[in-house]
Amino acid sequence: MDSSSRRRILVIEDDTETASQIANSLSTQGYEIELASTGTDALERGLATDYALITIDRMLPDMDGLSVMQLLRNNGVTTPVLIISALGEIDERVRGLRAGGDDYLVKPFSFAEMAARIEALCRRSSTIIKETLLRVGDLEMDLVSRTVSRRGQSIILLPREFKLLEYLVRSQGQVVSRTMLLQHVWELHYDPTTNIIDVYVGRVRRKVDGDQNYPLIHTVRGVGYCLRAPN
Amino acid sequence: MLLTKTIRSTTFKLALASIAVFGTIVVAFLSYVYISTLTYVQSEFDRAITVERRLLEGSFQHEGRPGVIAEIQRYLSDNAFADRIYLLTDASFHVLAGNLKSWPTEFSAAPAEAPKFEEWSGGENQPPARISLGTLPNGDRLILGRRIGSIDALRENNRNALIATFVFLFLLTAGASVAVTRRTIGRIESINATSRGIMESDLKKRIPLRGTNDEWDQVAGNLNSMLDRIERLMGELRQATDNVAHDLRTPLTRIRGRLEIAYSQLHDNDCRRELIGDTIADLDVVLRVFTSLTRISQIETNIQRSAFRTVNLFEVAGRAVELYEAAAEERGVRLRLVGDMTLSVMGDPDLLFDAISNLLDNAIKHGRNAGEVMIGTANANGRHTIYVADNGPGIPAKEYSDVLKRFYRLERSRHTPGNGLGLSLVAAVANIHGARIEMSDNAPGLRVQLSFPTSASVPHLTPRTKSELAKEEEQELR
Repeated sequence: MDSSSRRRILVIEDDTETASQIANSLSTQGYEIELASTGTDALERGLATDYALITIDRMLPDMDGLSVMQLLRNNGVTTPVLIISALGEIDERVRGLRAGGDDYLVKPFSFAEMAARIEALCRRSSTIIKETLLRVGDLEMDLVSRTVSRRGQSIILLPREFKLLEYLVRSQGQVVSRTMLLQHVWELHYDPTTNIIDVYVGRVRRKVDGDQNYPLIHTVRGVGYCLRAPN
Repeated sequence: MLLTKTIRSTTFKLALASIAVFGTIVVAFLSYVYISTLTYVQSEFDRAITVERRLLEGSFQHEGRPGVIAEIQRYLSDNAFADRIYLLTDASFHVLAGNLKSWPTEFSAAPAEAPKFEEWSGGENQPPARISLGTLPNGDRLILGRRIGSIDALRENNRNALIATFVFLFLLTAGASVAVTRRTIGRIESINATSRGIMESDLKKRIPLRGTNDEWDQVAGNLNSMLDRIERLMGELRQATDNVAHDLRTPLTRIRGRLEIAYSQLHDNDCRRELIGDTIADLDVVLRVFTSLTRISQIETNIQRSAFRTVNLFEVAGRAVELYEAAAEERGVRLRLVGDMTLSVMGDPDLLFDAISNLLDNAIKHGRNAGEVMIGTANANGRHTIYVADNGPGIPAKEYSDVLKRFYRLERSRHTPGNGLGLSLVAAVANIHGARIEMSDNAPGLRVQLSFPTSASVPHLTPRTKSELAKEEEQELR
């Protein structure tokens, strides 16, 4: 993928205002946006251009967004796809992901959430996850021995806390939303009304950031969390 | 069991009643025949005895006592009169002639002028008899009679026949009633079972018709029509829910989008930013309610039992505990996981997890701070169950069924966060699994239990211990 396409996103959405909202929000993040409002238009563009990511609304005027995606996939398009849909039930989500989608966002969503997910998907397309040793700042995670340490001093984490930290580390520098955490660390797709994620992250934070020179886990208001080392 | 159902059924009682009535009439008729026959035979005997008495009285008139004695002796020498009784005594009961040894002691009282008929036991080792006791003009006493062995035999035969008929009728009644009813019950049971099966799993199936166009086929046909209607209504409801989902979600997305844009365009110290931030937060609350509602509708109208898999209840409980551990710790609530680790049911793993999480969430939120919440599995007479119990203030028993309704909040909870939908979601999930929600006083606190039908309870597979489960999880993480 050449550098110009690294930030080019195709947004397939038939509602003009929603499309422009999405486009605006993403351009402020530095992406280049192309819009398609019908399935046929989307296919044309999708097959002709290399994108970093494609977002597809399922309810298009001429066909189901899933069919568009399947056609693109059948024609060798491996671009990550974020399915955006008003159909939010689990079986619909499963259908979407099975048909070739990489992530699923239910309307209405917060743009911060969308941005976080898109960032994660774009980044995924360019890195291959094979390392067994992850490092951020003075934090080191050994995925084989399941140990964590900062400045050489080991930190004891429960298995689920380890998984959470691993996900944050792998997404370092990116904002990760609460729903993304639920999805990747707990494999859950519903939104509990209690702030269980916050409490969990709080616990991990106390273990990982407490008594250290600098915090690694930061809260991003209105969205979620971000792990990064100061530079 | 089919037999108990048969006996309890109305058809059986009807059949029993009608055959019993018929049987009673038959028995009554036979009894009448028997009694009139007996009466006739008896009266014939009596007549014959009376005729003989007249003859002997005639003999007395012409020849006096010796004449009577001679007649009696003549009778006694003839074998044809073997079953007859003759006895002539004087006024002091000394025997003069006859085939009795003595005047029967039962009748020592002086007989009246007119001869009387009596039943007599017959004396020692003798068959019973019917006798007529009378007095001759000279004071001599005369007994004439017949041994009624034959009548007795007749009586006995008739009685036996009657009893046999009665027993036979009873067996016939019972047997015929059962047989007739079984067919009916069998047909009803098959309709019942099919209906239950359809309601539990697959609304698309229909009750098969026999093609005889009798009343059973008509019932089945009507039930099928009702099922058609239900299926159609649910389809319409699902369609409506989907439409609402689509129609509302797009403008809601736009609203939220605009608010976010406005929010991002304002500076931190602009007081309008806070206003918009709060609006977005409230809109999110509305959206959460909206999502839950559509979710509950979807669950209720989408009985996808075919997607059911084996779900281990203890594992679901464990995962829920793990998820809410931290939140519980925050409030000082202790979570305890207990119970049978082998209990499984057929169900939707995600929905079940959702329901249990909801119950756990409630228990932690509404239980006592620094209290204890227990979540466990148990086998209650073949029904696999999972329950969550807290030791908080609990719920008044009369509100048990109300709390399951959408948006219901207890008076005291009106100002705590929550939208009152959690339990109605649990109710919807329980419903499609055919499970019962049983709420009770945990003394103190509330205990909510999901009790699955025995048909959904999966016989236990190899139980996985906690360490095996932990190992599995570890491997998952690698």
